[in-house]
Amino acid sequence: MSARGERRLGAALVAPAGAALALVALGPLLATAWLSLRHRVPVLGEDRFVGLANYGALAHDARFLGALANTAYFTALAVALELVLALPLALALHHAGRGRGGIRAAVLVPWILPTVVAAKLWALLLQPDLGLLARIWPDGAGAVLTRPRLALHAAIFVDVWKTTPFVALLLLAGLQAIPEDLARAARVDGASALRVFRSITLPLLRPAILLALLFRSLDAFRVFDVVFVLTEGGPGHTTEPLSLYAYRTLLRAGSFGLGAAISLVTFLCVVAIGLAWLSALGERRPAEAP
Amino acid sequence: MLPSLRALAPLLLCAALAAGCRAREDTRSADRLVLRYQPLGPDPAPFRALVAAFERESGVEVEVQALPNAADLAHQLLVTSLGAGGQDVDVFVLDVVWVAELARAGWLADLSDAFPPARVREEFLAGPAGAVVQGGRTFAVPWYVDVGLLYYRKDLVPEPPRTYAALAAAIRAARAEAPGIAGFLWQGRQYEGLSCNFFEALWGHGGAALDGDRLRLDTPAAREALGHLRRLVADGLSPRSVVTAAEEDARRAFQEGRAVFMRNWPYAWPLLQDPASKVRGKVGVAPLPGADGPAPGALGGWQLAVSSRAPAARRAAAIRLVAHLTSPDANAVLAIAYGRNPARHASYEDPRIRAEAPFIAALLPRVEAARARPVTPYYMLAADALQGELSAAVSGLRSPAEALARAQAQADAIAGVER
Repeated sequence: MSARGERRLGAALVAPAGAALALVALGPLLATAWLSLRHRVPVLGEDRFVGLANYGALAHDARFLGALANTAYFTALAVALELVLALPLALALHHAGRGRGGIRAAVLVPWILPTVVAAKLWALLLQPDLGLLARIWPDGAGAVLTRPRLALHAAIFVDVWKTTPFVALLLLAGLQAIPEDLARAARVDGASALRVFRSITLPLLRPAILLALLFRSLDAFRVFDVVFVLTEGGPGHTTEPLSLYAYRTLLRAGSFGLGAAISLVTFLCVVAIGLAWLSALGERRPAEAP
Repeated sequence: MLPSLRALAPLLLCAALAAGCRAREDTRSADRLVLRYQPLGPDPAPFRALVAAFERESGVEVEVQALPNAADLAHQLLVTSLGAGGQDVDVFVLDVVWVAELARAGWLADLSDAFPPARVREEFLAGPAGAVVQGGRTFAVPWYVDVGLLYYRKDLVPEPPRTYAALAAAIRAARAEAPGIAGFLWQGRQYEGLSCNFFEALWGHGGAALDGDRLRLDTPAAREALGHLRRLVADGLSPRSVVTAAEEDARRAFQEGRAVFMRNWPYAWPLLQDPASKVRGKVGVAPLPGADGPAPGALGGWQLAVSSRAPAARRAAAIRLVAHLTSPDANAVLAIAYGRNPARHASYEDPRIRAEAPFIAALLPRVEAARARPVTPYYMLAADALQGELSAAVSGLRSPAEALARAQAQADAIAGVER
């Protein structure tokens, strides 16, 4: 087969996947973008083109700006904590001797639970009258959901509790890809354990870390279920993330155009975060630098 | 050529599926109705028997579909289906606060011929009748009702309080006997239950929230009402946990014997009388207190409506189904088997209900006094913004005045869109 024929065959083979992607990803995206330029409220029978007015309204909407801040704060703190906790966990799993498989399986339990189930579990534990934490420490951790400025941290805590094992597993895969010989050679040269970690393990783990950050920050920025179950966005919208605001505007208030605008802003934020991490991932690692 | 055709296969498949869905909808015959309702209780048998009786009498088959028990979700499902012009449902349930909105949208069939407004007003309780009759036409028929009640501990409170001051005094007195007991439990979580509690406080302060079609939230009475709710928490008459509490949070804590008073719906009564309940036999029910005397409880409950998209052939059968399910006999089944309060005056005199559900029969004065949340097409659109601002005030994030001003601005922006 000629090179051209082969290219054509390749294109034909890729076409179904491309068409499916266009159908399920690009289509809805463009439809949402178009909807966000309209004022559409089906129950009021309103549907007209308003240009960028929805985006203009969002720029002055205190609830939207609050939701944006909540989402950014949730993402930054949750992902940072997950990374800080997962790294030692991954190292411990990596160096664990016998029973490693069993330990690894046990660590993954929170990650296996559906988020809604995990969130409901914590909602019961944190229930401020009868929850377990309320019985142990009624005015402290037991009352966290009743405090407007603290309730979001309960959601962050549940996210960290649930997702740290996943991050640890990603890092563990990275650790196992590092050749043992490098560390051994460094030790022969008299490097301390800390030095080996800083100069060999950490730089070589960089791609795995960035990958974990990429996955997690994209996921965390779209957070919905944890908050929906724990607080429904209350008290006073202080725990409401963008996705919950979009859902409420679209489906509860029935304002489709504004809801689409919020969804699209969320999407653009996620794309920006994804591109930032991907470009960091694409940079040449210092270890390979000439 | 062949590969590119294959590439189109998923598209063609989707198109075929979509066409298939439409075709199926249109061919549903006139003697098959779809009813969407919220499951009434764990045992479906009495309700099934009620529907089966209709099927026998009319020869029309009824397909019963369940909606989620969360009102907001049920609303969302109905609005997306009706808004898309779907014909997949003929008869469905409506919360009292949805009727105006969906009637205005033109999605509810006019039932005035079968249920003339004058007869609806005569036979049904004033609250639900006022919600289903819009502009002199009947758009839905009341099915069962709910009302906000004050539950109190008979062993700690000799007389139920009629005013807010008496409520506070009773809590202090009860605490002298039972130190550490919580005072008044209610629903302060950011959701529709908080709005019900707020409107009850508003009526208790002599206020109203409607001026024509316009929601009036930024009024002196509303500021007093919201300030009152906030002070309950700030002064310790209610535990801080009420700012996250929904009905079940309050009911469980009250049932554990942890509080003197609770605001809740009638459903809590049989649960509190359960053999395992710690407060069994120690609970009384009274009207909610107000500033100068008892306040009306918020009206909840459900109505049955017919979709305006149901073709004429099915509409007649659908109206007969609504009549069957809202009949005095059906009221009795719902009251006895499911503890639902009848929407008809006369049912409270029904000997079957008086004998087998005396608690329900005794609630007549409460349901007669019950008041509906503002009946306006804009209520559901503004509800979300209102809940958030009420929650902000109750949890101490903003002053009641500031929260209400913000809620008013948002409600006006929603309604003003088309003025």
